[in-house]
Amino acid sequence: MTQQVTSKKEEEVIAELDSFAELPDSPPKRKFRLTWVGYVSSAVVAFWLIICVIGPSIAPFHEMDMEGDDSFLPAYSGEYGSFYLGTDYLSRDTLSRILYGARNTIGISLAATLIAYLIGITLGILAAVKGGWIDMGISRVNDAILALPTIMLGLIVIAALGSSIPILIGTAAVIYATSVFRIARALGQDIMVQDFVEAAQTRGEGIWWIIRAEVLPNAAMPLATDFGLRLVFVVLFISSLSFLGLGVQPPASDWGSMVRGNLGGLTYGSYAAIWPALAIASFTIAVNLIVDDISAKSGGSLAKKMV
Amino acid sequence: MMTRMVMQRIGIGFATLWVVSVIIFVATSILPGDVAEIVLGQSATPETLAALRAELGLDQPWYVRYFSWLGDMAVGDLGISKAGGATISSLIGGRLGNTLMMAGWVSVISIPISIALGLWAAMHPGTWLDRIVTFGTLSLISVPEFFIATIAVLVLAVELHWLPSTAYMTGEESFWELMKALAMPLITLVIVVSAQMIRMTRAGILNVMSSPYIEMAILKGVPRGRIIMRHAFYNAIGPIINVIALNLAYLVSGVVIVETIFAYPGLAKLMIDGVQTRDLPLVQACAMIFCGTYVVLILLADIGSILSNPRLRNPK
Amino acid sequence: MKDDKSPPGLNFRDLSQADKDLVDKMVKGGSGPVTRRDALKLAMVTGVSLTVAEQLLTNGKSVMAATPKKGGSLRMASNLHGPNDTLDPIVFTSTIDYTRGRVTYNSLCQIGEGLVANPDLAESFEPNQNATEWTFKIRDGVTFHDGKKLTADDVVYSMRRHQGENSKSVIKSLLESVSEWKKTGPLEVKAILSSPNADLPGLMGLYQAKVVQEGSTGGGIGTGPFVMESFQPGVKSIHVRNKNYFRDGPNLDAVEITAITDPVARVNALLAGDMQIVANVEPQAFRQIESSSTAKLLSIPAGLQMGICCLKNSAPGNNNDFVLGMKYIQDRERIVKRVLKGKGTVGNDHPIATAHGADYCSELPIRPYDPDKAKFHFKKSGYSSAELFVAPVMSGIEDACLTAQANCAKIGFDLKLKKVPTDGYWGAVWMKEPLNVVSWNMRPTANIQLGIQFAPGAAWNDTYWNNDRMGELLKLALAETDPAKRHQYYCEMQTLVHNESGMVIPAFSNVNDGLANNVMGIPNVPTGQVGGSEWPEYVWLA
Repeated sequence: MTQQVTSKKEEEVIAELDSFAELPDSPPKRKFRLTWVGYVSSAVVAFWLIICVIGPSIAPFHEMDMEGDDSFLPAYSGEYGSFYLGTDYLSRDTLSRILYGARNTIGISLAATLIAYLIGITLGILAAVKGGWIDMGISRVNDAILALPTIMLGLIVIAALGSSIPILIGTAAVIYATSVFRIARALGQDIMVQDFVEAAQTRGEGIWWIIRAEVLPNAAMPLATDFGLRLVFVVLFISSLSFLGLGVQPPASDWGSMVRGNLGGLTYGSYAAIWPALAIASFTIAVNLIVDDISAKSGGSLAKKMV
Repeated sequence: MMTRMVMQRIGIGFATLWVVSVIIFVATSILPGDVAEIVLGQSATPETLAALRAELGLDQPWYVRYFSWLGDMAVGDLGISKAGGATISSLIGGRLGNTLMMAGWVSVISIPISIALGLWAAMHPGTWLDRIVTFGTLSLISVPEFFIATIAVLVLAVELHWLPSTAYMTGEESFWELMKALAMPLITLVIVVSAQMIRMTRAGILNVMSSPYIEMAILKGVPRGRIIMRHAFYNAIGPIINVIALNLAYLVSGVVIVETIFAYPGLAKLMIDGVQTRDLPLVQACAMIFCGTYVVLILLADIGSILSNPRLRNPK
Repeated sequence: MKDDKSPPGLNFRDLSQADKDLVDKMVKGGSGPVTRRDALKLAMVTGVSLTVAEQLLTNGKSVMAATPKKGGSLRMASNLHGPNDTLDPIVFTSTIDYTRGRVTYNSLCQIGEGLVANPDLAESFEPNQNATEWTFKIRDGVTFHDGKKLTADDVVYSMRRHQGENSKSVIKSLLESVSEWKKTGPLEVKAILSSPNADLPGLMGLYQAKVVQEGSTGGGIGTGPFVMESFQPGVKSIHVRNKNYFRDGPNLDAVEITAITDPVARVNALLAGDMQIVANVEPQAFRQIESSSTAKLLSIPAGLQMGICCLKNSAPGNNNDFVLGMKYIQDRERIVKRVLKGKGTVGNDHPIATAHGADYCSELPIRPYDPDKAKFHFKKSGYSSAELFVAPVMSGIEDACLTAQANCAKIGFDLKLKKVPTDGYWGAVWMKEPLNVVSWNMRPTANIQLGIQFAPGAAWNDTYWNNDRMGELLKLALAETDPAKRHQYYCEMQTLVHNESGMVIPAFSNVNDGLANNVMGIPNVPTGQVGGSEWPEYVWLA
C-alpha cells in the first residue's frame, strides 16, 4: 500500500541526505526545544495516550453495547442514554467506541512500530557491519518482502494464522521492519567508512563498542525522523486490513475499521465515519508535527535564517 | 563502472525474483484450503474435491508442482489459472495495460505538481503557506485511502453527477470519455501519491540546505531562489528520483483499495483475487511482475541519481 | 410464458400451475390494490401462507400493470467475481456465474415465482406412478447460439456430467437419486431414479443444471436469451439479444455483467447511475437506497438462512444444554429489526422459513429470547465460555453474532468471536470447527432444504446431527400426495430440528438487491440474488 512506498522513499531520502549533511563530523549536540506547534502536538499525543489508559473507564457505554434498534443516529439523548457523537450502523455509541478503540489503534501501531525498529535496526546494522553473505542473504529476503504489496502480505499471514492482536502486531512489525532495515543498513554502511570509526578500529575497539558508541548515536536522529511516518503507515495498514474484512477481532473497536464500517452512513449525514477518521488524523498528525519540529530545530536551522 | 553496476544489479534482481517465488510458494501453501476447495466452496464434497484436485494436478507433491512451475516460467510460459482455467497471460494481459495506463497518468499529473509544490514550500520554510502545505499533506497521508475515495465518490459522482463512480471502460471510448471514466481513481491516487511526494521533495531540499556548501553559498550572498534551483535541487535530485521510482512501483502493485472501490480491472486486485482463490500460478505471475518492476525502477533511480550527482559519479 | 400442461399428480409445493392461473385471474379481474380478502382467498385455496399470498398478488399486479417495453441495455454489478469466474454450469458457485448461466443457457425446468418448477427446455415432464421415473419431452426447434439444433443427446450429455466418480459437479450429491439418464427419442429423455423423487423438476431448475452442447463444457454457447459477445473472468462480460430465441425473447438488446466487490462502492455505483442492477445490498445501505430518487430496493422475502452450527460430534455442541443456551440467547426480533433492518423474518432454529409457504410449520411456536433460560442451560451444561468462528458468509451474520455476544455477556457467559476470512472458510472452518456460522440459500422445495443439511449422513450435514426418524420423514414426505399429511411430516421434521439438532437459526434474511428506478419486470424468485437470477429474460426498462 501507500505506506510501503513512502517508507521506502523516506529511507532513501534520509540515507542519501545523511551522506551529504552530517556525517563528516562526530555526533552533533542537539537540543530539544519545541515551537508552539510542537507543544500543541505533544498535548494531543499526551491526551490520546491518557485515553488509552482511562478510555474504557470513562466511556458511557461498553464498546459492544447496542442500544436501541436504529442505526446512524445523530448525537442525542433519549431513553437509552446520551450519545454525544451519535451511534453507528449497529446502534453502538460512537464516543464509547472511539474511547475503547484508542487502546487498540494506538497500542497496536506503537507496539508494531517499536518492534519494527528493533528488528530493522538490529538486522540492518548487523548487515552493514558484517557484510558479505550475511548482508546478501538478509538483503535479498528484505527486498523480496519490500517488492510485494503490503496488503497482500498481511492478507496471507492473517488468513493463515488468524487475526489476534499479537499476530497483527507481528505482521505489521515484520512488514515495516524491511524499510527500517534499509535505512539502518544504509546509515550503518556510511558510518562504518567514516574517519572516526576507522580511528576507533585502529585503536582496537571491539565491534560491539563501535556499534554502541559510534554507529547507533549517529544513526539515531535520521531513524527518529522516520518514526512518525512509519507509525502513520502502520495505523493505515491495520485499517486497510479491515477493508478486506481482517483486522481487529470484533467486538473490539479500532478506529480504522470504525471508519470502514460506517462509510455507508455518510450519504445521510451520519458522522459515525468522520469521528474515528478525525481521531486517526489528530493522533498521527500530532506525532509527525512533533518529529518535524525536532528535526527542523536540529537540522534546518540555517534554512530558517534565510527567510 | 556503470555497466558493472547494472550487470550486478540485474544479477541481484534475479536472486530477488527467486526469493519472491519461494516466499509466495511457501506462503500460499500455508494458507488454509486449496484452489479446489475454494472453487467448489460450500458445495464441496470429498468426492468432487478429489476429482477436481486430480484434474488440476494438485495431488502431486510440492516439489513437482514448484519445479514444473519454475521450468515453465524459465521458458516464458506463465501457465493456466487453476481457478478458472483461463491462461494466465490472457488474465494478465489487459490488466497490465490498465495498470500501466493508470500509473502513467497519475505520474504525469502528480510528479510536476509535487515537485513544484515541494520546491515552493521549501523556498518559504516556516511561513504560513509552508505550514498549510505541510499540514495539508500530512492530513491527506493520515486518513485511509478508502475514506478519501468514498468522499470523492459521494461528492463528485453521487451528489453532483459530474463523474462516473466506477472506472468502467468499454474499450471503444474516445480519449475524453476515457479520461472521464478514469477521473475518480485518478483524482484519488493523485491526492494520495502527491501528498507524499510533496513532503519528500520539501524534506529533501531542506535537508540539503543545511549542508556546509549551501551555507557557504548563502554567506557568499547568492540569491535564495538561485541557491535552491541550482544547488539544492540539483543535489536533492537523487532522493527525489527515488521517491518517484518507489511511487511508480506502488502504483503498479499496491493500489488494491482504489482498484476495488472503483472496480478498475488492474493487476493488484488480480493478485489479491489470486491469493483468495489460492490460484498459485496466477499469484506467482503477478509477484514476478511486481518484483521485476520494483527491481527495474530502483535500478533506474540509482542510475539517475548517479548521473545527476558528480560525487556519486566519481566516487573516491 | 406459455402455459404448458402441468403434470398430473405432482406435488409441487406452494403453487401449482392452476394456482398460478388463479393468481393471474385474480390480478387481472380485480382493479385497485390487493386487498386482504383477495390474499385470504388465495391463501385458502392454495394453502400458501397469508404473507406469501399477499406478496404474490402485489407482485402479480405490479408485473402486469405495465406492458414490457422492448429495447435498451443495462449493466449489472454482482458482489463477487475473480479469475475463477466460469462458464461451465456444473461448477457455478457465485451470483455472477448464476447470472451468466441464465443469460447464456437454459435448463429443462425453471424455477418461477412461488417456487414452481415451470417448463423451460422441457416442453413437458411427467413422472411414472410412483415417481421413480421421469420423462422430459424436449421442445422442438430450439437452437444453440452457433446454429446447432438442441437434441436429446445434448440433454443426456449435460445431465450425465453431474454423475460418476470424476464429476466435479457441485450438485452431484443432490442428483444422486438419479441412477441413469436415458435418451428415449430424438427429443425425449428419461431419468431413472433409485428412489422416488417428486422434486426432480425442481432440481432441474437449479443454477448448475443448465444444458450445454454435447461434448462441451459450456463455453458460453447455449440456447439462452442472450448470445455472449465477450467474457473476461474477473472483469466483465457482454451479451447481446439472441434473435433466434425459442420464446418471445428478452426485452433488452444487451446486458453487461460485472462485479463491484466493495459493498459501499456497489451501492454508490447504483446511486450514481453507473449500474442499473446491483446484487446483494447490505442492511447498512437500505436507507440510502430507499431515500434515493433514482434507485429502489428489491427485497424479496426468502429463506436465506443465517445459521450458527454447533457440531454435535464434538464439545460443546454435543451437550444439548449448551445448544439450548445458544438458542435461547438469540434475540430474534432484535436481530431482524436491528441487524437486518426489518428485511428478514425470525427463524425458529430450523431451515424452513415462512417464504417456503405451506411447508412452514406455523404451529410450532417461535423460540423466545429468554436470557434466564439461556443462563440456566449454560449453567447446566458446565460451560462458561465458548469460541464461535465467524466469517462474513452473508451480510448481517457477523452483526447477529455480535448481538448474541452482547446478550451472552449480560448473563455472564463469555461468547468469544473468532473472525476469519471467507476465502478458505468452507474448506477449513465450516463443518470442522465446533462452533461456526453458515449461510444457506433458499432451495426450491422444503424437502431439498431439509435434506441437504439434516438427512442422516448427508454430505453437508453441517451439525453432524444424524437422526433416523429425520431420514424416514424425508422419504415419507417425498412420496406423500395428501397435502395435510405432508404438512404433518414437514412439521414433525421442523420440530425435530428445532429441538434436537445443533443448528441455531435466529433469522432469515430477505434477498436484497438494488435497482435503478426504471428497471422493471424482475420475477420474485427467492432462491438467490436478483430474483434467483431469473431476471435476464424478463427485465425491461421503463
